[in-house]
Amino acid sequence: MKIKNILWLNAVLVLIVMFAVTAPVNAGGKVYKLGLSLAITGPTSDAGNPYAKGVEDYFKFANETKILGEDTIDCTIRDDQYKTDITKRNFEEYLDEGIVMYLNYSTGSTLGLKRDFEEEKIAVLPASYHAGNIDNSNYIFLPVASYSEQLVALSEYVVKNHKGGKAKVAMFIHPSAFGRGPVDDAKKAVAAGLNMEIIEVVEHGKDLDNSAMLKRLMSKDVQYVLCHTVQSPVATMLKDSSRLGLTAETYGEKGKLTFLGVHYTGGNDLIALAPDACEGYFWTCSFNLTSEKGEGTTKQLALAKLYGRDDKAANSHNYAAGIMVAQVTTETIKRVKAKGKKVTKENCYNELNAMNGANAYHPYTTMGPVTYSKTDRAGVDMLQIYSVQGGVFKKIGTPIQSEYMKKIK
Amino acid sequence: MSYFFQIVVSGIVVGSIYALAALGLVLVYKSSRVANFAHGQIIAAGAFITFFLTVNVGVPILFSFLASMIITFFLAMSVERIFLRRLIGEPIISVIMVTIGLASIIDGLIFITPFGTENFSFPHFLPQTPLSLGGVSISWTQLVGVIITFILIGAFSWFFKKSTIGISMRAVSDDQFGAMSVGISVPRVFGLAWATAGLSAAAAGCIIGNITGLNFETLQAFGIIVFPVVILGGLDSILGAVVAGIIMGLIQQFASGYLDGNFGLNGTGDVMPYIILLIILLFKPHGLFGVHEIERV
Repeated sequence: MKIKNILWLNAVLVLIVMFAVTAPVNAGGKVYKLGLSLAITGPTSDAGNPYAKGVEDYFKFANETKILGEDTIDCTIRDDQYKTDITKRNFEEYLDEGIVMYLNYSTGSTLGLKRDFEEEKIAVLPASYHAGNIDNSNYIFLPVASYSEQLVALSEYVVKNHKGGKAKVAMFIHPSAFGRGPVDDAKKAVAAGLNMEIIEVVEHGKDLDNSAMLKRLMSKDVQYVLCHTVQSPVATMLKDSSRLGLTAETYGEKGKLTFLGVHYTGGNDLIALAPDACEGYFWTCSFNLTSEKGEGTTKQLALAKLYGRDDKAANSHNYAAGIMVAQVTTETIKRVKAKGKKVTKENCYNELNAMNGANAYHPYTTMGPVTYSKTDRAGVDMLQIYSVQGGVFKKIGTPIQSEYMKKIK
Repeated sequence: MSYFFQIVVSGIVVGSIYALAALGLVLVYKSSRVANFAHGQIIAAGAFITFFLTVNVGVPILFSFLASMIITFFLAMSVERIFLRRLIGEPIISVIMVTIGLASIIDGLIFITPFGTENFSFPHFLPQTPLSLGGVSISWTQLVGVIITFILIGAFSWFFKKSTIGISMRAVSDDQFGAMSVGISVPRVFGLAWATAGLSAAAAGCIIGNITGLNFETLQAFGIIVFPVVILGGLDSILGAVVAGIIMGLIQQFASGYLDGNFGLNGTGDVMPYIILLIILLFKPHGLFGVHEIERV
């Protein structure tokens, strides 16, 4: 009899403990797990660091303002130091935690883990806009137009605004798959009729002096240099060009070089590295910049202020990019919930694919709407051309979209 | 013809800066036979200290430059005192592994600060109009960089040849036990070698940072980029580092100027120095100015 009483007492205690542990979770709604692995330190962390802050801040904001009602998002953010092996380990641990979507970072790790994403059937939004990411992949969604699309759009801009015969261009690219990928697409665009001549493709190193390269390009009558790399080598090249008196003062100035670049070549980091020499540099980006006041950038700055971010992070386009992927992810979960479905990997994936037409999503951080489908894996197709004027990036014209990219796809 | 001379000038400029960046590696190797894999991090630290003093504290840049050299002098000396002193007499590979660990620690420390993940540039302190002569151009930053390089290299050469401490350092480099037996303090010499290496690294960091802008990854990469210079020069020769630096700079610029973009070639400016290095080492395995030691048993 005594033993029976003790057993009853134990059972009641176990129930009380279970209730005590689970009660707060039930009371606060469901928690949806997400994971982000990126370079907060190590190579490219100048981009990764503000990107991580953008993601973190927006999810905090979404939870605090109850965008998902009583439900919340729990996104684990881990530093992988730009090392694919660490990214893979992070991703596997996130899977064990039950993530419903995954946010990745670099081109190398996105390509390296592509098969894993397919096997796990999980939607992935990387910070790399490499077109090769979405080749033979059903689960990778580029947040904005691919580097290829940006480079081709920039080439079209060159041709459209070039005076005289055929525009002669050189490509200044990163010595990696990230750098080389878009060059082939630019060549295809030329083959498809884009009226320009690619005189040379330069894969840069850690150069302290680009005089030889710049003078060589001049001797071949190159007029435009299209860059697809990171900011540091572009900054050194721009300084050398400025010193040699080779930089065009106006767009397409004859006998001078006009420099233009794709996403990761520009932004405030370029201005910080080459404050004077980058004047007149043209740059494509799908994000709103805080140097151009607007509703979106006001919200971005307010978010940064709310969570105590410094000016550098608040005004970084990488911070905007981080906010944007968090916005898309939150919106996807919200739509799954609105349809009365369970928030799972499969339902999130299907919801992303349905994000088009009337269901297109308009984040405040981008130049245009995010649209995805089974055949369209690039979110924002619109690109804005910016140019450095008086030490800040200013909009040039209205957003554009590549025409030749559709022809060569 | 101005194209040719521009390449020569650029090659000498780049080569001189390589020589200065390589100097710290040579100094440490000369006294302790250790390749310091944390050298790039010290280069970056020197540049960031100068920037911090100039921009955040408001010290004039010339004094910041000198102060950063003094700070890294004592910083490197402390590193030697704390981490490496107890390894005297241990296998060289152990010391090398410690320098690799040290590189990770300094990386981590720099990433705690904004310098790890943000980009900066030094405020202008030299005229912006370059010096031009007959179509050949050189910026004031480059010119001052070359002058500082040659002053420092001259000073170090004198130091090793004429000063008592310098001669002690050479003695330790030749034979640690022999030097100890005549009363030279080997730990003191090691500390001094690291300290002078730190000083030269800070100078190199400031010059490179002025040219490329302040980006941690770019700056610390120079610790590795200059390894071929050190090997070609003969590991423990200051003159070797200068000659090899300039050879490497010239090869890089000539390859970039005359081979890249022609004959379907690209990126030869980066590869060619290594090819030439391998060819020279085939004939002179100890480098251009390295000492061929003969061990009698």
